[in-house]
Amino acid sequence: MPQETVSDAAAAPSIVIVENVMKRFGAFTALNDVNLAVGKGEKIVVCGPSGSGKSTLIRCINHIEKHDGGRIIVDGVELSHRLADINSVRCEVGMVFQSFNLFPHLTVAENCMLAPMKVRGISQVEARDRALGLLRKVRIHDQADKYPAQLSGGQQQRVAIARALCMQPKIMLFDEPTSALDPEMVKEVLDTMVELAREGMTMVCVTHEMGFAREVADRVVFMDRGCIIEQADPETFFRAPRTERAKGFLSQIIH
Amino acid sequence: MNTLDFSILAQSWPYLWSGLLFSLSLTAAAFVIGMVLGTGLALVQHFEIPVVAQIVRGYVAVIRSIPLILVLFWFFFLVPIVLGHLSGNGRPIPIGATWTAFITFGLFEAAYYSEIIRVGLRAVNKGQFEACQALALSTYDTYRHIVLPQVLRVASPIILSQTIILFQDTSLVYVLSLTDLLGAASKLAQLNGRLVEMYLVVAVTYLAISSAASQCVAALRKRYAVATSR
Repeated sequence: MPQETVSDAAAAPSIVIVENVMKRFGAFTALNDVNLAVGKGEKIVVCGPSGSGKSTLIRCINHIEKHDGGRIIVDGVELSHRLADINSVRCEVGMVFQSFNLFPHLTVAENCMLAPMKVRGISQVEARDRALGLLRKVRIHDQADKYPAQLSGGQQQRVAIARALCMQPKIMLFDEPTSALDPEMVKEVLDTMVELAREGMTMVCVTHEMGFAREVADRVVFMDRGCIIEQADPETFFRAPRTERAKGFLSQIIH
Repeated sequence: MNTLDFSILAQSWPYLWSGLLFSLSLTAAAFVIGMVLGTGLALVQHFEIPVVAQIVRGYVAVIRSIPLILVLFWFFFLVPIVLGHLSGNGRPIPIGATWTAFITFGLFEAAYYSEIIRVGLRAVNKGQFEACQALALSTYDTYRHIVLPQVLRVASPIILSQTIILFQDTSLVYVLSLTDLLGAASKLAQLNGRLVEMYLVVAVTYLAISSAASQCVAALRKRYAVATSR
């Protein structure tokens, strides 16, 4: 399947390459011959109806789901079944989940410190400095010694972003980061993500927040039934979607 | 024996105390052995390690379906014979009543603790594992720092309840002629003819220790309920 529109940012060398990727869950085909190249510093928003494979796609990029066919290359390392390759990719790829997945028995700071200490091997002092610095960045440093359950959903998600950033990843994946939040907390999380985007982080976001897509995305990727149907810059995509399915999808989410 | 007379306590308390100390040290040892071994048995089943997992499952099923007193007997009489055969000269090698009690209680409790921990492992949210994967944490670090601490926290009230039962079960060591709290009281009672007083004192002691531990269970439950509410 030929690659579709390529934006300006993608002219930079690709940091993530997804080639002819297949993923099946039993008889259900979640990803059907998907191709995607993400340039360094590029911000991509992936959208589509539920069950279209968008979450599966980004979960394959850090091998939380194992792809059944095709190739995925992240920062020059191909995801094989070798644990060393998988872990070296995961070190460079941060992920933020819909349900936060903070560690409930650790404080906010400890949540951020664990992986840098155990995986990157930095000292406790350095890990705490780094954690507090990034917690300050997501404006939550005054809660560093509280437990996740004591925070609001929006605060928890910002902690999750800080936790991922503490590993100093080159790429950040967001899997519907605002879908589990109360409406009044969506903005604080999106603001954090916009800030991150402005700093030049490479980002792949599965989200239905079209305002966010317009503001920061270099490219919107529309998926349906396991395939990438359409991709374009946000202005073009929202104003003039080319496929019927994209038109139908947009008419449903924009009231 | 028309009136209660507790004056006998004045001279007998050192003996009762040594009995209580034995009960408590057996409980503590069985708890430590049982928890360490039980966690191992639970992990073997959790990871579905071929062959070993089946053997462990069989072990847990057998231990849990026979009375502790029977296990004590078997261990006391059979293990020396088996050791004798293994050593080659065929003569039984006695391991002594105290060692029998500590090892048997440890092995017995391991089966119960492993079931508690195995169920706890299944209750850990899938998202916790995914977060660990995304952060590139090794399997060891994932279980050591994230999974097991949460399991132990959730299961702590049940583990403590099981330990209270264990404490009460230590009285079964009388079959090995060991003297625990109940055994000490029983001997004194026979000796002095003060059965009611001695058994009352023992009952109150068991009650005090077990209900204090139950208060801890209640406190743990409450604390855990607060920690998980959002």
